[in-house]
Amino acid sequence: MRSIIIAAAAIILLAATLAPVAVAAAYDGAPIVSATVETLAQQQRGEAELPWLFAVYVITWAAFFAYVFIMSRRQREMQREIDTLKRALDAKIDPEQ
Amino acid sequence: MLVRNSLLVTSAALMLVTLYMVFLWVPTELNLGVSQRIFYFHVPLGWLGMISIVIVAVASIVHLITGSQWWDDLAYTTAELGVVFASLILVTGVIWARGDLGWWWTWDAKLTTTLVLWFIYVGYLMVRAYSPKGSQSARFASVIALFGAIDAPIIYMATVWWSSAHPELNVGPVASDRDAIGSNKIYATLLVAVLAFTIFYIHLVVERFHLRRAESALDRLHQSFAARF
Repeated sequence: MRSIIIAAAAIILLAATLAPVAVAAAYDGAPIVSATVETLAQQQRGEAELPWLFAVYVITWAAFFAYVFIMSRRQREMQREIDTLKRALDAKIDPEQ
Repeated sequence: MLVRNSLLVTSAALMLVTLYMVFLWVPTELNLGVSQRIFYFHVPLGWLGMISIVIVAVASIVHLITGSQWWDDLAYTTAELGVVFASLILVTGVIWARGDLGWWWTWDAKLTTTLVLWFIYVGYLMVRAYSPKGSQSARFASVIALFGAIDAPIIYMATVWWSSAHPELNVGPVASDRDAIGSNKIYATLLVAVLAFTIFYIHLVVERFHLRRAESALDRLHQSFAARF
Protein backbone atom coordinates (compact mmCIF):
# COMPACT_ATOMS: atom_id res chain seq x y z
CA MET A 1 0.00 0.00 0.00
CA ARG A 2 2.80 2.35 1.00
CA SER A 3 4.79 1.74 -2.17
CA ILE A 4 1.65 2.20 -4.33
CA ILE A 5 0.98 5.63 -2.79
CA ILE A 6 4.59 6.73 -3.20
CA ALA A 7 4.59 5.50 -6.81
CA ALA A 8 1.31 7.34 -7.52
CA ALA A 9 2.67 10.55 -6.00
CA ALA A 10 5.86 10.21 -8.05
CA ILE A 11 3.90 9.63 -11.27
CA ILE A 12 1.69 12.66 -10.61
CA LEU A 13 4.72 14.80 -9.90
CA LEU A 14 6.58 13.56 -12.97
CA ALA A 15 3.55 14.02 -15.21
CA ALA A 16 2.95 17.52 -13.92
CA THR A 17 6.59 18.41 -14.47
CA LEU A 18 6.84 16.91 -17.94
CA ALA A 19 3.42 18.06 -19.20
CA PRO A 20 4.46 21.67 -19.88
CA VAL A 21 7.70 20.49 -21.49
CA ALA A 22 5.74 18.24 -23.84
CA VAL A 23 3.28 21.01 -24.64
CA ALA A 24 6.12 23.46 -25.20
CA ALA A 25 7.81 21.01 -27.56
CA ALA A 26 4.58 20.75 -29.55
CA TYR A 27 4.07 24.52 -29.52
CA ASP A 28 4.14 25.81 -33.08
CA GLY A 29 5.74 29.13 -32.24
CA ALA A 30 2.69 31.19 -33.07
CA PRO A 31 2.49 34.52 -31.26
CA ILE A 32 0.43 34.56 -28.10
CA VAL A 33 -2.40 36.83 -29.23
CA SER A 34 -1.39 38.56 -32.40
CA ALA A 35 1.74 39.72 -34.12
CA THR A 36 1.78 42.86 -31.98
CA VAL A 37 5.17 44.20 -31.05
CA GLU A 38 5.41 45.02 -27.37
CA THR A 39 5.48 48.77 -27.04
CA LEU A 40 7.05 50.96 -24.38
CA ALA A 41 3.55 51.80 -23.10
CA GLN A 42 2.82 48.08 -22.65
CA GLN A 43 6.09 47.58 -20.77
CA GLN A 44 5.24 50.49 -18.46
CA ARG A 45 1.76 49.09 -17.95
CA GLY A 46 3.30 45.72 -17.08
CA GLU A 47 5.50 47.30 -14.43
CA ALA A 48 2.49 49.15 -12.99
CA GLU A 49 0.54 45.89 -12.75
CA LEU A 50 3.27 43.95 -10.95
CA PRO A 51 2.23 45.06 -7.43
CA TRP A 52 -1.30 43.70 -8.04
CA LEU A 53 0.11 40.33 -9.08
CA PHE A 54 2.34 40.13 -6.01
CA ALA A 55 -0.56 41.25 -3.80
CA VAL A 56 -2.60 38.28 -5.04
CA TYR A 57 0.34 35.93 -4.57
CA VAL A 58 1.08 37.12 -1.02
CA ILE A 59 -2.57 37.23 0.10
CA THR A 60 -3.30 33.73 -1.25
CA TRP A 61 -0.32 32.17 0.48
CA ALA A 62 -0.77 34.16 3.69
CA ALA A 63 -4.37 32.93 3.88
CA PHE A 64 -3.34 29.29 3.34
CA PHE A 65 -0.52 29.45 5.88
CA ALA A 66 -2.78 31.15 8.42
CA TYR A 67 -5.46 28.52 7.92
CA VAL A 68 -3.01 25.61 8.22
CA PHE A 69 -1.44 27.21 11.31
CA ILE A 70 -4.81 27.71 13.01
CA MET A 71 -5.84 24.17 12.11
CA SER A 72 -2.67 22.55 13.47
CA ARG A 73 -2.91 24.58 16.71
CA ARG A 74 -6.53 23.52 17.17
CA GLN A 75 -5.55 19.91 16.52
CA ARG A 76 -2.85 20.00 19.21
CA GLU A 77 -5.18 21.63 21.75
CA MET A 78 -7.90 19.13 20.94
CA GLN A 79 -5.60 16.14 21.35
CA ARG A 80 -4.35 17.50 24.69
CA GLU A 81 -7.95 17.93 25.89
CA ILE A 82 -8.87 14.40 24.78
CA ASP A 83 -5.88 12.93 26.65
CA THR A 84 -6.76 14.90 29.80
CA LEU A 85 -10.36 13.77 29.65
CA LYS A 86 -9.40 10.13 29.06
CA ARG A 87 -7.04 10.19 32.05
CA ALA A 88 -9.72 11.79 34.23
CA LEU A 89 -12.25 9.20 33.06
CA ASP A 90 -9.87 6.30 33.77
CA ALA A 91 -9.04 7.70 37.22
CA LYS A 92 -12.74 7.94 38.08
CA ILE A 93 -13.39 4.38 36.90
CA ASP A 94 -10.34 2.91 38.63
CA PRO A 95 -9.31 5.08 41.64
CA GLU A 96 -6.35 2.72 42.34
CA GLN A 97 -4.54 4.00 39.24
CA MET B 1 -0.46 9.34 7.97
CA LEU B 2 1.45 8.28 4.86
CA VAL B 3 -1.38 9.38 2.59
CA ARG B 4 -1.54 12.73 4.35
CA ASN B 5 2.21 13.26 4.05
CA SER B 6 2.21 12.18 0.40
CA LEU B 7 -0.52 14.71 -0.38
CA LEU B 8 1.41 17.46 1.36
CA VAL B 9 4.70 16.63 -0.37
CA THR B 10 3.04 16.29 -3.78
CA SER B 11 1.10 19.52 -3.45
CA ALA B 12 4.19 21.40 -2.22
CA ALA B 13 6.26 20.11 -5.16
CA LEU B 14 3.52 20.96 -7.63
CA MET B 15 3.16 24.43 -6.13
CA LEU B 16 6.85 25.04 -6.80
CA VAL B 17 6.38 23.88 -10.39
CA THR B 18 3.34 26.17 -10.66
CA LEU B 19 5.26 29.17 -9.33
CA TYR B 20 8.09 28.51 -11.77
CA MET B 21 5.63 28.28 -14.67
CA VAL B 22 3.56 31.32 -13.64
CA PHE B 23 6.47 33.67 -13.01
CA LEU B 24 9.22 32.40 -15.35
CA TRP B 25 7.92 30.01 -18.00
CA VAL B 26 4.59 31.21 -19.37
CA PRO B 27 4.72 34.22 -21.75
CA THR B 28 3.00 37.48 -20.87
CA GLU B 29 -0.34 37.81 -22.58
CA LEU B 30 -0.05 40.96 -24.68
CA ASN B 31 -3.62 42.24 -24.46
CA LEU B 32 -4.08 41.79 -20.69
CA GLY B 33 -0.46 42.24 -19.63
CA VAL B 34 1.22 41.06 -16.46
CA SER B 35 -1.98 41.11 -14.41
CA GLN B 36 -3.26 38.19 -16.53
CA ARG B 37 -0.97 35.96 -14.43
CA ILE B 38 -3.46 36.39 -11.58
CA PHE B 39 -5.60 34.08 -13.72
CA TYR B 40 -3.43 31.08 -12.63
CA PHE B 41 -4.40 31.66 -9.00
CA HIS B 42 -7.92 32.98 -9.48
CA VAL B 43 -9.28 30.19 -11.71
CA PRO B 44 -8.16 27.22 -9.51
CA LEU B 45 -9.52 29.00 -6.43
CA GLY B 46 -12.81 29.57 -8.25
CA TRP B 47 -13.00 25.95 -9.33
CA LEU B 48 -12.39 24.63 -5.81
CA GLY B 49 -14.68 27.21 -4.19
CA MET B 50 -17.56 26.02 -6.37
CA ILE B 51 -16.71 22.32 -6.02
CA SER B 52 -16.77 22.68 -2.24
CA ILE B 53 -20.40 23.73 -2.05
CA VAL B 54 -21.43 20.78 -4.23
CA ILE B 55 -19.56 18.42 -1.86
CA VAL B 56 -21.20 20.14 1.13
CA ALA B 57 -24.66 19.67 -0.40
CA VAL B 58 -24.12 16.01 -1.40
CA ALA B 59 -22.59 15.13 1.99
CA SER B 60 -25.44 16.89 3.81
CA ILE B 61 -28.08 15.00 1.84
CA VAL B 62 -26.36 11.63 2.44
CA HIS B 63 -26.11 12.51 6.14
CA LEU B 64 -29.83 13.26 6.23
CA ILE B 65 -30.65 9.94 4.53
CA THR B 66 -28.23 7.68 6.43
CA GLY B 67 -27.76 9.63 9.67
CA SER B 68 -24.03 8.93 9.43
CA GLN B 69 -21.82 11.31 11.42
CA TRP B 70 -19.00 10.71 8.91
CA TRP B 71 -20.92 12.52 6.14
CA ASP B 72 -21.89 15.36 8.42
CA ASP B 73 -18.24 15.83 9.38
CA LEU B 74 -17.31 15.88 5.68
CA ALA B 75 -19.99 18.51 4.96
CA TYR B 76 -18.77 20.72 7.79
CA THR B 77 -15.13 20.29 6.70
CA THR B 78 -15.73 21.27 3.08
CA ALA B 79 -17.97 24.19 4.13
CA GLU B 80 -15.18 25.65 6.23
CA LEU B 81 -12.69 25.23 3.39
CA GLY B 82 -15.28 26.69 1.03
CA VAL B 83 -15.27 29.92 3.04
CA VAL B 84 -11.49 30.15 2.71
CA PHE B 85 -11.55 29.53 -1.04
CA ALA B 86 -14.61 31.73 -1.72
CA SER B 87 -12.97 34.57 0.22
CA LEU B 88 -9.81 34.17 -1.86
CA ILE B 89 -11.85 34.13 -5.12
CA LEU B 90 -13.37 37.47 -4.17
CA VAL B 91 -10.11 39.02 -2.99
CA THR B 92 -8.05 37.89 -6.00
CA GLY B 93 -10.89 38.91 -8.32
CA VAL B 94 -11.18 42.45 -7.01
CA ILE B 95 -7.39 42.90 -7.07
CA TRP B 96 -7.28 41.71 -10.68
CA ALA B 97 -10.15 44.05 -11.60
CA ARG B 98 -8.43 46.99 -9.91
CA GLY B 99 -5.13 46.28 -11.66
CA ASP B 100 -6.58 45.56 -15.08
CA LEU B 101 -9.83 47.55 -15.30
CA GLY B 102 -9.33 50.27 -12.72
CA TRP B 103 -12.25 49.47 -10.41
CA TRP B 104 -12.54 47.27 -7.34
CA TRP B 105 -16.11 46.05 -7.61
CA THR B 106 -19.21 46.21 -9.78
CA TRP B 107 -22.59 44.60 -9.17
CA ASP B 108 -22.65 42.40 -12.24
CA ALA B 109 -24.04 38.86 -12.32
CA LYS B 110 -20.79 36.88 -11.97
CA LEU B 111 -19.43 38.91 -9.07
CA THR B 112 -22.76 39.17 -7.27
CA THR B 113 -23.55 35.43 -7.49
CA THR B 114 -20.05 34.67 -6.21
CA LEU B 115 -20.64 37.03 -3.28
CA VAL B 116 -23.95 35.21 -2.69
CA LEU B 117 -22.00 31.93 -2.55
CA TRP B 118 -19.70 33.43 0.10
CA PHE B 119 -22.73 34.48 2.17
CA ILE B 120 -24.18 30.96 1.78
CA TYR B 121 -20.97 29.43 3.17
CA VAL B 122 -20.90 31.87 6.07
CA GLY B 123 -24.61 31.25 6.67
CA TYR B 124 -24.01 27.49 6.74
CA LEU B 125 -21.25 27.82 9.35
CA MET B 126 -23.28 30.30 11.43
CA VAL B 127 -26.24 27.92 11.51
CA ARG B 128 -23.89 25.12 12.61
CA ALA B 129 -22.31 27.33 15.25
CA TYR B 130 -25.49 28.76 16.78
CA SER B 131 -27.96 25.86 16.44
CA PRO B 132 -28.18 23.27 19.19
CA LYS B 133 -25.82 20.34 18.56
CA GLY B 134 -27.32 17.28 16.91
CA SER B 135 -29.26 16.35 13.83
CA GLN B 136 -31.43 19.50 13.87
CA SER B 137 -28.39 21.69 13.22
CA ALA B 138 -27.28 19.52 10.31
CA ARG B 139 -30.81 19.53 8.88
CA PHE B 140 -31.09 23.33 8.87
CA ALA B 141 -27.60 23.72 7.41
CA SER B 142 -28.21 21.18 4.63
CA VAL B 143 -31.04 23.36 3.28
CA ILE B 144 -28.60 26.26 3.05
CA ALA B 145 -26.04 23.99 1.34
CA LEU B 146 -28.65 23.07 -1.28
CA PHE B 147 -29.09 26.76 -2.15
CA GLY B 148 -25.32 26.95 -2.53
CA ALA B 149 -25.30 23.95 -4.86
CA ILE B 150 -27.92 25.71 -7.00
CA ASP B 151 -25.81 28.89 -7.00
CA ALA B 152 -22.64 27.12 -8.27
CA PRO B 153 -23.85 26.48 -11.88
CA ILE B 154 -25.39 29.96 -11.96
CA ILE B 155 -21.96 31.44 -11.18
CA TYR B 156 -20.38 29.37 -13.95
CA MET B 157 -23.05 30.34 -16.51
CA ALA B 158 -23.39 33.99 -15.44
CA THR B 159 -21.29 35.37 -18.29
CA VAL B 160 -23.27 33.27 -20.80
CA TRP B 161 -26.71 34.26 -19.51
CA TRP B 162 -26.07 37.94 -18.75
CA SER B 163 -23.74 40.59 -20.09
CA SER B 164 -20.92 40.89 -17.61
CA ALA B 165 -17.81 42.92 -16.85
CA HIS B 166 -16.15 39.59 -16.00
CA PRO B 167 -14.18 37.99 -18.88
CA GLU B 168 -16.15 35.40 -20.87
CA LEU B 169 -15.68 31.68 -20.28
CA ASN B 170 -12.63 30.30 -22.07
CA VAL B 171 -12.34 26.99 -20.21
CA GLY B 172 -14.96 24.29 -19.81
CA PRO B 173 -17.77 22.66 -21.77
CA VAL B 174 -19.69 25.85 -22.64
CA ALA B 175 -16.66 28.09 -23.14
CA SER B 176 -17.58 30.78 -25.65
CA ASP B 177 -14.16 32.40 -25.96
CA ARG B 178 -11.73 29.48 -26.34
CA ASP B 179 -9.45 31.32 -28.75
CA ALA B 180 -8.84 34.14 -26.28
CA ILE B 181 -6.16 32.13 -24.46
CA GLY B 182 -4.25 31.66 -27.66
CA SER B 183 -1.24 29.74 -26.33
CA ASN B 184 -0.66 26.13 -25.33
CA LYS B 185 1.75 27.35 -22.66
CA ILE B 186 -1.07 29.28 -21.00
CA TYR B 187 -3.29 26.18 -21.07
CA ALA B 188 -0.46 24.01 -19.68
CA THR B 189 0.24 26.46 -16.85
CA LEU B 190 -3.44 26.66 -15.98
CA LEU B 191 -3.68 22.86 -15.99
CA VAL B 192 -0.72 22.44 -13.64
CA ALA B 193 -2.01 25.24 -11.37
CA VAL B 194 -5.44 23.60 -11.14
CA LEU B 195 -3.82 20.23 -10.38
CA ALA B 196 -1.54 21.74 -7.70
CA PHE B 197 -4.35 23.61 -5.98
CA THR B 198 -6.66 20.58 -6.19
CA ILE B 199 -4.11 18.28 -4.49
CA PHE B 200 -3.48 20.98 -1.88
CA TYR B 201 -7.24 21.26 -1.37
CA ILE B 202 -7.51 17.47 -0.89
CA HIS B 203 -4.69 17.68 1.66
CA LEU B 204 -6.55 20.44 3.54
CA VAL B 205 -9.80 18.44 3.44
CA VAL B 206 -8.05 15.36 4.89
CA GLU B 207 -6.37 17.38 7.66
CA ARG B 208 -9.50 19.34 8.57
CA PHE B 209 -11.61 16.18 8.41
CA HIS B 210 -9.33 14.48 10.97
CA LEU B 211 -9.63 17.54 13.19
CA ARG B 212 -13.41 17.47 12.85
CA ARG B 213 -13.43 13.77 13.81
CA ALA B 214 -11.34 14.64 16.88
CA GLU B 215 -13.87 17.35 17.78
CA SER B 216 -16.68 14.79 17.48
CA ALA B 217 -14.70 12.34 19.65
CA LEU B 218 -14.23 15.07 22.24
CA ASP B 219 -17.96 15.80 22.28
CA ARG B 220 -18.66 12.10 22.85
CA LEU B 221 -16.11 11.99 25.67
CA HIS B 222 -17.72 15.02 27.33
CA GLN B 223 -21.13 13.34 27.07
CA SER B 224 -19.72 10.08 28.47
CA PHE B 225 -18.09 11.94 31.32
CA ALA B 226 -21.29 13.83 32.15
CA ALA B 227 -23.41 10.65 32.00
CA ARG B 228 -21.18 8.67 34.35
CA PHE B 229 -20.39 11.29 36.95
